[in-house]
Amino acid sequence: MTGLIEAVDLTLRFGGIVAVRGLHFAVREGELVGLIGPNGSGKTTTINMLTGHLSPGSGHIMLRGARVEGMSADRFAARGVGRTFQVTQLFSRMSVLENMLVPGLARPHSTHVAARRQARLHLEFLGLAALEDLPARSLSGGQQKLLELGRALMLEPSILFLDEPFAGVNPYLRDEIIRLVQALHAEGRTFVIVDHDLEAIQRLVQRLVVMSRGEKIADGTVDAVREDAEVIRAYSGV
Amino acid sequence: MRPTQLAGAALLLMLVLAFPVLVNPYWLTVGILAIFYAIVTASWALLVGYAGQFSFGHMGFVSMGAYCSALLVSAAGLPIPIGMAAALVLSGVVGAVIGYTCLRMHGPYLAIFTMAFSEVFRIIALTENEITGGAGGLEVTPLFHTRSDAPYFYLGLALLAASLGLMSWMTTSRWGLFFRAIRENEQAAAAAGVKVVRFRVLVFAIASSFAGLAGAFYAHYIGILTPDVGSVDQMGLVVAMAVIGGAESLPAAVIGAIVVEFLVEALRAYGEWRLVLFGALLLLTVRFARNGLLALAWEQVLRLGPVRERARPARRPAAS
Repeated sequence: MTGLIEAVDLTLRFGGIVAVRGLHFAVREGELVGLIGPNGSGKTTTINMLTGHLSPGSGHIMLRGARVEGMSADRFAARGVGRTFQVTQLFSRMSVLENMLVPGLARPHSTHVAARRQARLHLEFLGLAALEDLPARSLSGGQQKLLELGRALMLEPSILFLDEPFAGVNPYLRDEIIRLVQALHAEGRTFVIVDHDLEAIQRLVQRLVVMSRGEKIADGTVDAVREDAEVIRAYSGV
Repeated sequence: MRPTQLAGAALLLMLVLAFPVLVNPYWLTVGILAIFYAIVTASWALLVGYAGQFSFGHMGFVSMGAYCSALLVSAAGLPIPIGMAAALVLSGVVGAVIGYTCLRMHGPYLAIFTMAFSEVFRIIALTENEITGGAGGLEVTPLFHTRSDAPYFYLGLALLAASLGLMSWMTTSRWGLFFRAIRENEQAAAAAGVKVVRFRVLVFAIASSFAGLAGAFYAHYIGILTPDVGSVDQMGLVVAMAVIGGAESLPAAVIGAIVVEFLVEALRAYGEWRLVLFGALLLLTVRFARNGLLALAWEQVLRLGPVRERARPARRPAAS
């Protein structure tokens, strides 16, 4: 299967520990994929490799058919790969608007006027428009997650990796994030979402990829994965 | 700008321009050295306050610029402006190399690395006395052959204005936004598409080139150049100036440098005790006003604005 982004036999070791082993994984344009697995199964390491924050020990990453493994994270971002982090990573002492302007102005040929206009549109969409002058650190945890999503949207990404977007978020905001992701997906954006909140993930995604101990153990529709014996074993620990 | 603010700024400008005729030669020398420190402190503030790259080797670049220009003029016979331009370029290039070398270093590791670089340069300057004059000093061709130091004051002022103008332009441009993003969170900056490597190297190169230019100016003013210009003591003084003024604002850093330099001289009668006073002031600033005393004072002024507005008696509506 070829796709928008593809992991081909990815392996990464940290010292003697194999974090990810021989991973094959492709995401097609317009898909909404969930990447799940027990703690320590290698999900975040996989996202870090697919967004340029870690270089794989071996294997390839293909983005629109071109090999990109080993490139820096900013070059992945320039090629339309956006992401959020497991623990929200903002420019804390900068304002909400400035947080949005950083990726907006990092894009080639961007102008201040265009970046500002685009930032305000996204802030409006995320419900953060009234907070644009506040320092990012003064936002609530949920608002910070939304801002991080907005910052990734400023890249006009062709694919977005969301690492635990529902962690530490109240049920109301969780529903809001689901609604926003669905709206963005309806516009044609491609998503890969990592989370432990299976209920939320199942409401969102069309396809689930399951990892355990650094390896992919299942890949299919939500119903198929739910019935998979190896997945049940991995989660139950039996 | 309100008329009162405009009048205040005009008065301040007149006082600064008239400074050489208002003071004796001793205080004029202090004023020129304050300008030198102001350029160095502002460039250090750009590197540390804006981009978060804690370098403790900035005076090494000052020293490099000073020796580069001094030697090119005295040994190679180049004109002084060419020597000063070469100092700017050399310090910038070496700054870029140092910036690239320590890309993976942060916080104390970066500080120790840069301090080691500065010390190595100082020891080379001390040891290679056939070239540098060693501890005895290197005689440097003066910029001006005048009885008064006033031309140095005005040239220094022009260099400070140009440096500050360029650095301020950078900090308000997208580069400044990227510098601050890198300071806040390098990983997030990279994910946002900021070319972290390029901008970390760039800010090192820019800050070092301004330091080198200041060093060249200092060398041609002071006349005898010794390796002590790049000492850890001098670096500590620059840190104190930036921290007391406010390292996250270029004008605050400049004012901090000028205030501290004048205070150091004004309190000379107290000998070493004045340094204890500055140490205490530094501790208090770091503890209670991390953005610097001037930034804190400015915040108070801003807060007082609305207070004054509220305190002003409301005008009675005109009787109809």
